[in-house]
Amino acid sequence: MKWATWENIGVDRMGSIWLIRRWIDPKAEFLFIPADTKSLPKDAEPFDIPGTRYSHHGNHCTFHTLLKEYKVQDPILSQIASIIDEADLVQEVNVEPIAPGLDAVCRGIRRISADDYEALERGVLVYEALYAELLAGEG
Amino acid sequence: MSSWLLLSYKLPTHPSALRVYVWRKLKRLGAILLNETIWVLPDTSRTAEHFQWLATEIQERRGTVNLWRSSLVLGLREEELIDQFKKHVDGEFKGLLKKLHEKNPDLAKLSQEYQQVIGKDYFRSEIGQQVRAKLLELRGETK
Repeated sequence: MKWATWENIGVDRMGSIWLIRRWIDPKAEFLFIPADTKSLPKDAEPFDIPGTRYSHHGNHCTFHTLLKEYKVQDPILSQIASIIDEADLVQEVNVEPIAPGLDAVCRGIRRISADDYEALERGVLVYEALYAELLAGEG
Repeated sequence: MSSWLLLSYKLPTHPSALRVYVWRKLKRLGAILLNETIWVLPDTSRTAEHFQWLATEIQERRGTVNLWRSSLVLGLREEELIDQFKKHVDGEFKGLLKKLHEKNPDLAKLSQEYQQVIGKDYFRSEIGQQVRAKLLELRGETK
């Protein structure tokens, strides 16, 4: 399936891409469209675009929505959702010390990458590493 | 000339908890309310994302919202607006600095509060730098 999101990906979209590829749709292809695009591509599922199904809902990030909609059940993924909730949204209560660091690293990755495709691959590596670390129980 | 983000919104009268919720988020972001109508933030990729998602949340809750990217033409001077942002965090930084000078300050708690305030310190407050230096100094002393 094709998936479309706004260009210049950050913490939530890198995480969502990793989640889609690894847990939801291993053959996923990703399209990056400018943020001011009024009409969405017809042959692709939009995500992390305001007003679409797979996006922020309430006080939760897109990663959280994808987990819920696809009924992916994994405690480590739930924790990552909670980390991204704090990294990507303004929260009154913070319980995930990893969140601000993860946000900064993902922003930095986009800055040093030539385009979103390169950023995507690097972002995926970061999430793979985060997952492994949390799984080891030392996160 | 700097770019600013402006947000104005209207929420349904009920539930009143929603109004408090949105207001708290805006305060948390360090946005400034101008003329009791428009919330302002400096334009960065981070603030733009936060405002955008807050706007989406307001729409989701049946409110109406507008978000602009703009530059000042008339009225406030840019420095005055920046001063308002500084004054806002300076108040909180001063409170922290005062507590840090008391006897046996709770460093763990105060450093957490410091982290919350620097999240909205968009123009690098001098007093914020002092709080940071004091925290580091006290950390060294207790070792």
